[in-house]
Amino acid sequence: MQTQARATTRTGPAVRLEAVTKDFGTVRAVDAVDLTVHEGEFFTLLGPSGSGKTTLLRLVAGFEQPTGGRIELAGDDVTGTPPNRRDVHTVFQDYALFPQMSVEQNVAYALTVRGVRKAERLARAHEALTTVRLDGFAARRPAELSGGQRQRVALARALVDRPAVLLLDEPLGALDLALRQEMQTELKELQRTTGITFLLVTHDQDEALTMSDRIAVVRDGRIEQTGPPVEVYERPATAFVAGFVGTTNLLRGEAAVRVVGRPGTYSIRPERILLTDPAEASAREPAEGSARQSAESSAETSADGRRTVTGRITDIVHAGAHTRFTVMLPYGDRLIVHRQNLTGLPESARPDGEIGLSWDERDAFPVPS
Amino acid sequence: MPAAPTPGSRLRLTALLAPPLLWLTLAYLGSLAILLLSAFWTTDSFTSDVVHTWNTDNFHELLTTPVYRTIALRTLSIAVAVTVVDALLALPMAFFMARVAGRRWRRPLLVAVLTPLWAGYLVKAYAWRVMLGENGVVGAALAPFGLHGPGYGTTAVVIVLAYLWLPYMILPVYAALERLPERMLEASADLGAGAWRTLRSVVLPVVRPAVLAGSVFTFSLSLGDYLTVQIVGGKTQLLGNVIASQVTLDLPMAAALSAVPVVLIVCYLAAVRRAGALDSL
Amino acid sequence: MRKRKMSVWRSAAAICALLLTAAGCGSGNDDDKGGHAPDKLGKGEGKVNIIAWAGYAEDGSNDPKVDWVHPFEKKTGCQVNTKTAGTSDEMVSLMKTGQYDTVSASGDATLRLIASGDAAPVNTKLVPNYKDIFPALKQQPFNSKDGRMYGIPHGRGANLLMYRTDKVTSAPDSWRAVFDDAARYDGHVTAYDSPIYIADAALYLMSAKPSLGIKNPYALDQKQLDAAVALLKKQHQAVGEYWSDYQKEITAFKGGDSVIGTTWQVIANLTKAEKAPVKAVLPKEGATGWSDTWMVSAKAEHPNCAYKWLDWIVSPKVNAQVAEYFGEAPSNRKACAETAAPDHCAIFHAADEKYFQRVHFWTTPIKQCLDGRKDTDCTDYAQWTRAWTEVKG
Repeated sequence: MQTQARATTRTGPAVRLEAVTKDFGTVRAVDAVDLTVHEGEFFTLLGPSGSGKTTLLRLVAGFEQPTGGRIELAGDDVTGTPPNRRDVHTVFQDYALFPQMSVEQNVAYALTVRGVRKAERLARAHEALTTVRLDGFAARRPAELSGGQRQRVALARALVDRPAVLLLDEPLGALDLALRQEMQTELKELQRTTGITFLLVTHDQDEALTMSDRIAVVRDGRIEQTGPPVEVYERPATAFVAGFVGTTNLLRGEAAVRVVGRPGTYSIRPERILLTDPAEASAREPAEGSARQSAESSAETSADGRRTVTGRITDIVHAGAHTRFTVMLPYGDRLIVHRQNLTGLPESARPDGEIGLSWDERDAFPVPS
Repeated sequence: MPAAPTPGSRLRLTALLAPPLLWLTLAYLGSLAILLLSAFWTTDSFTSDVVHTWNTDNFHELLTTPVYRTIALRTLSIAVAVTVVDALLALPMAFFMARVAGRRWRRPLLVAVLTPLWAGYLVKAYAWRVMLGENGVVGAALAPFGLHGPGYGTTAVVIVLAYLWLPYMILPVYAALERLPERMLEASADLGAGAWRTLRSVVLPVVRPAVLAGSVFTFSLSLGDYLTVQIVGGKTQLLGNVIASQVTLDLPMAAALSAVPVVLIVCYLAAVRRAGALDSL
Repeated sequence: MRKRKMSVWRSAAAICALLLTAAGCGSGNDDDKGGHAPDKLGKGEGKVNIIAWAGYAEDGSNDPKVDWVHPFEKKTGCQVNTKTAGTSDEMVSLMKTGQYDTVSASGDATLRLIASGDAAPVNTKLVPNYKDIFPALKQQPFNSKDGRMYGIPHGRGANLLMYRTDKVTSAPDSWRAVFDDAARYDGHVTAYDSPIYIADAALYLMSAKPSLGIKNPYALDQKQLDAAVALLKKQHQAVGEYWSDYQKEITAFKGGDSVIGTTWQVIANLTKAEKAPVKAVLPKEGATGWSDTWMVSAKAEHPNCAYKWLDWIVSPKVNAQVAEYFGEAPSNRKACAETAAPDHCAIFHAADEKYFQRVHFWTTPIKQCLDGRKDTDCTDYAQWTRAWTEVKG
């Protein structure tokens, strides 16, 4: 892959959206979105299907034109510019390889279009194919390749002339799990070595958390939260983000008062809850003066800031690295608990067994509802 | 390998397939065989009765008389011209229908393209005779530009045949274009290609087999036509006319003449098959 | 599976063999050609299928006043189905189908139909109006054989020269206008699309090039045919289109695509009725023409109705109507008293045998020269057909 700097002078962020709105008939797919992607960043738009994340990507690519707002690439206003005049390339979800062309012709297409001489074209196509570890497949037709190989061809095709921004639309969606995880690493690596700005769209939180420098969580055409993966995971800005990124126990209303001790909405990650012996839990004395027990609260707070509650296990799912417990609390709420499969469990950790749950008070963090 | 059919289903299948197969054998292959066979007979020149004497005089005459070669070449060129004109017209029209027009316009447009097929062949040909005539609208429309209408003749034949067979070309091209994923066009634009480049590199390769498939219709239908020529061809005569006029007088000669378009079409089909067009029929 | 395939192929082979046998049975034995004339007529079959020239079996659909089919149907109860033919060749091939009972055949079709056995001899006693037919039309070479009539004479006339009076300013009186002078009307000359049209060229050459020695335009030796073909090829350059369908000629003259060319009186009448400025003349060289005969098919399914039609069509009144409408001389001498125009028979020279000597009735050219020459072979109709294809190129 060529690494020399491009001739264009950069005066702004790689991608900037300003109050961008897109309507399809009466449906508003994108609603006044502001977004900034920095140069060299691996940025992910994460959201459920129908959230408008793909539309956002297509707006950046130029396949759709916004109903309102402004789109900038490297500081240039490209609102209204057709896709072929934008310095971005797309890796499509279904790859969209040209079936009648060989792998080599596919990869070299952007160069052919620009009128690059044949010798250079071929050299650079092969370079790109080497980068995705597909040298030797140059003469094949897309139909003769596996899904993973097609995916790599699509990548090589989009990277061959080093666009300023690479747009990836659910690029790993069609691959099986093992391949997907392998490709996640590879994509991240590719982004790091090429230094090209990646803008990825996915509905898979694992993918987003694994690869991204920053994530924007999209819902109903708006961005709910933007930030690095750790921040989005650890401090979700909204209940939706908390629920969508990772698994969470969301406590609101009476449950919040009884379990957390305060009214509001709170999120506790399942892996933050420890399973303890129920006897041990009930034997614990409430700490004097700290976190006064309200009348309704069924949980207790110990002196070291841990809250404890007892419940009955209703379901146990063994999920490889961890086990998922569903615990029914005495007054009817359920909590999900993840436990790494490392050491032995309390004896009562069996279906229908009484169990104690304990967590650090700070792990139950409030989320705006 | 599918599961072996039970004897009952086999019987049903045989019963189901027998009538069409029989029909194909009898009506199609049978008549073709007789046609070819009768080309080796001769006629009584006075009564026009067929004389069943085996000889190859008809083919000899066919190959040695210059006028037949002229007519065969003229017919071939007209069929080729009609095919080319139809391809050139069908491409943008089908592209508009499949790609530019909105989804709810597609059906009305498709119906509009198909409607001429529901009108009688002669009605359309005679309508063109009126339009192309000395005082017809075609001449009147061209008059302001100092041009004359083509009048009756080979040009008129090409125009009318191209009009008549256009739907047969548009339909496969439209189907191919409709099947072409939008993503392909987007990918091409995304990689920097303009509209023309996309058309050349992405659309045309997909459409080519469809055009060839359509050309099988336009070519073979043009090759066999003789009514349009009579109506707007002026003094032009094509193979079809010679065959038609010979059928009444000299059936064996007409049969020998009929072998010419049959051979041409078989050659064309063979050529087109190599290009893979028959897969999209 | 193999067995099944074999049986399919075997049955296919059997079918093919069957088809071939059926096709091979086409030519009958020569002895019994033409069948027999009936001795007496039975009841009408309620139906009769006719092959006719345009204007010969009018049922009022072209002009409500011109209708002699419905009165016939009313009188006899025979429903008439008419098939209009454009050329004699078409008539011959239609008759060969055996689906028609009677045909108004011209001289170039009659002999072929008699020779092929498609036409049956006619018992003239069963056609009461036969007695009033001009004697000059009876027992002619083109409608009889061995003294037996093969049909009832219908009428005769000449092929005329029609032109647009607005486009052809100096009124032509010679076929020269469509031959040597054809280039004047480049692209707007028309001619009859049939090999028999070669006789029109030969007729013109009789006077334009006497050195060729053509005596009869249907008796051409190879040299004479070549000369006629050369003339027609020259004419071809100026021809806009050929016609064999009378409707086509009407629209061509009406629209101005054709301005001069050969025609029939009936076409001239219909074109005038469409308000086109046309005129039809008999040029000074004389003309080719026709003498038509109503023949009965040897395979007629409705012979009784066919005989009723024969008698009806030559009955004085109807014969007069047809003759006036089509523009020809009637065959029934009593018809001359029934014509709407009192001088019709005089204009069309109905009884003027001298006039008709200038009109060369269509007949089929055969190898044996029709003008009596014994020293040379003449060209036959098959050669004319080939020549005609060549003329049109």
